[in-house]
Amino acid sequence: MPELFFLPSWPPAVQALPWYALLLLAAAIAGELVRRWLHLPRLFGWIAAGILLGPQAGGIVSEAMLEDMRGILDVAIGVVLFQLGQRVDFGWLRRNPWLLATSVLEAGLAFAAMFAVLLLIEVPPLLAALAAAIGIATGPAVVLSLTRELRAQGQVTERMLLLTSLNCVYAFVVVHVLLAWLHQEYSNEWLSAIWHPLYLIFGSLFLALVFALATLVLLALLGRRAEAQYIAVFALVVTAVYAAAALKLSGVLVLLGYGVMARAFDAKRRFASFTFGRLGQILLVLLFAITAATLDLDLVPLGAVAGAVLVAARYLGKAVGVFALAPASGLSMRKASLLALSLMPMSGVALILVNDMSMLFPGLGSALASVVVSAIVLLEVLGAAAAYFALVRAGEAEESAKA
Amino acid sequence: MEAIAFKPSAPLTIGVELELQLVNTRDCDLTRAASDMLALIEKKPHPGEIKPEITESMIEISTGIHTHHDALLAELCEIRKTLVAAADQLNVRVAGGGAHPFQHWSDRRIFDRPRFKHVSQLYGYLAKQFTVFGQHIHVGCPDGDDALYLLHSFARYLPQFIALSASSPYYQGVDTAFDSSRLNAVFAFPLSGRAPFALKWSEFTAYFERMSVSGIVESMKDFYWDVRPKPEFGTIEIRVCDTPLTVERAAALAGYAQAICRWLLVERPGKVTEDNYLAYTYNRFQACRFGLEGEVVDPVGGVRRTIAEDVAATLQAISVHARELDCEAPLQLLGRIARDGNDARWMRDAFADAGSLPDLVWQQAERFRAG
Repeated sequence: MPELFFLPSWPPAVQALPWYALLLLAAAIAGELVRRWLHLPRLFGWIAAGILLGPQAGGIVSEAMLEDMRGILDVAIGVVLFQLGQRVDFGWLRRNPWLLATSVLEAGLAFAAMFAVLLLIEVPPLLAALAAAIGIATGPAVVLSLTRELRAQGQVTERMLLLTSLNCVYAFVVVHVLLAWLHQEYSNEWLSAIWHPLYLIFGSLFLALVFALATLVLLALLGRRAEAQYIAVFALVVTAVYAAAALKLSGVLVLLGYGVMARAFDAKRRFASFTFGRLGQILLVLLFAITAATLDLDLVPLGAVAGAVLVAARYLGKAVGVFALAPASGLSMRKASLLALSLMPMSGVALILVNDMSMLFPGLGSALASVVVSAIVLLEVLGAAAAYFALVRAGEAEESAKA
Repeated sequence: MEAIAFKPSAPLTIGVELELQLVNTRDCDLTRAASDMLALIEKKPHPGEIKPEITESMIEISTGIHTHHDALLAELCEIRKTLVAAADQLNVRVAGGGAHPFQHWSDRRIFDRPRFKHVSQLYGYLAKQFTVFGQHIHVGCPDGDDALYLLHSFARYLPQFIALSASSPYYQGVDTAFDSSRLNAVFAFPLSGRAPFALKWSEFTAYFERMSVSGIVESMKDFYWDVRPKPEFGTIEIRVCDTPLTVERAAALAGYAQAICRWLLVERPGKVTEDNYLAYTYNRFQACRFGLEGEVVDPVGGVRRTIAEDVAATLQAISVHARELDCEAPLQLLGRIARDGNDARWMRDAFADAGSLPDLVWQQAERFRAG
């Protein structure tokens, strides 16, 4: 045995380093800098740290390391979707049916507008339809993170959260209805064309129901101790994320549905003030940083035109949808214009859907990614900025939280 | 500063102002919704007046001038309908109650108006802690002297109004042990408490001028007294009540004040002296702390009894006037409350039953809606 056996070999074995911890640290520092110097929400710092440290910008985090962080990313997205689901109030849709109409209209018009312009620039119809369907979804992490950090309350905030959770569901459903078309095009198996979308949609909802009921039973047993609630629910959410993957169901629909149902069936409002607190915040930072690091910037030049066109058409469709029914749903035109802006972010759910499709149909994957990912890259900062601007101008952000 | 003139008004007319809570439907915490609600309501014609208050999570409604309880209640019901419809569209709930059971005052946002910003700067955390919700009852007076006579003779009955309306047992997430914790927030202000003893309007004007010349106050609005004259309306304003959980109770309290005032003006029972105030703060504390079970001392009459008994005795004494004013039914309601328990009792029972403060607020909102 050499005498200095206790010293590490040189260079040290870096693969053992927890890269997510370094990414987290860098993102947290960048977030604080952005807030202090630029007076902007921290998430811009988190995104910047992710891009700079990511493989695209030649940073220290490599593709392989990102692959290792996949599990954390899935859990983080799951937690965000669950929390967004908890914000959905079916009672509100019943009392103000124009909101449901607004939601269907903004999603429908955005889809139609995106589909039409993509066809115009000669994107193949199936690809155009898929990209347009994915574009329906607003980025849930951005709207949730901004609402939290700005402690925003009011009609723009509430409607932004509601419309976001609904349009994520629509995007998911439309994409999976298109799955039937894809199956025919690529595999010509009519059985999977019918059963695959049905399995995904109903299977996911059923799993969500099981978890929601289990959660409520568990909470009834644990009583109102906030600490115990929060640990138990976190464990269940993580389990739901993995259960969805194991059953080849949709994580998006399972977690959103889980959040919605956990609230809807909580008759005594025992669960009302539940939050993920600091842990939720840590996951949110990681979610932004890892997502930004993952963004394939090389695709942008390829799909830049298509991406830009998609972004413009998407905004137009959403804005017209929101404006058309604003008076009927009890929203001033000023707030409607801000609400339309707040729906611009596009990230998390869209990326998941692109990944799902690429996995199922590798031939289609790269073409789809080039269109959608360039739109996502364009909106990564622009969308968050639009939503931030909307909440502040609506007067719904807390003075002290504005930095 | 010119002398303040008391604008005469039809004696014994009544009007009510109610400060209401705006809460979200998720965890029932106070929410920033006043501007959105007002923007929606202003578009349509509606009875009464609906105004912003100092924070964005509060809205104030006020009725017109009424001679009878029934008309007052009818107007309050119409206003409630307007409010509830707007709240439904915006996913907000409207609730009564003197204080929000678990809000944190540091989260409150001051409504964007110069007067509110000024008050907030002057009083600091007190202004935000003052996120409490009261009912104000106006009673019309023919002249300033009668207003002062009513104001001082009414002081004896304030504990009853505190106990009957008490609906703020929970504050900042804890049971305060008080039936009305709201009034404790009011007492923190330097110009709270009782009005100085003066029975002539000229004496009162002289007092006000001294206060305003010395720069202590600018207008009557700076006094946070339990009862204060409102010369520009020609009324006295009773300000001790928590906002009850329903508008029916709010109207009944106004009817009760009207009947007591009629009795005091017509029969002039007893002489009004500074001695009336000997037990004033003691009685008021008893009412806030113990509600209807609190004990009041009448230093002039030498009587000592619970507030519930005091209510029953007063109802007896004014029964003729209640009949004259057609407000027997609402006074029977108050008699039942005195016997069976006030809103604070109901809230403690509801919390014991549900085990969650958000659920309590939810039920408060349900009661406001249903009446």
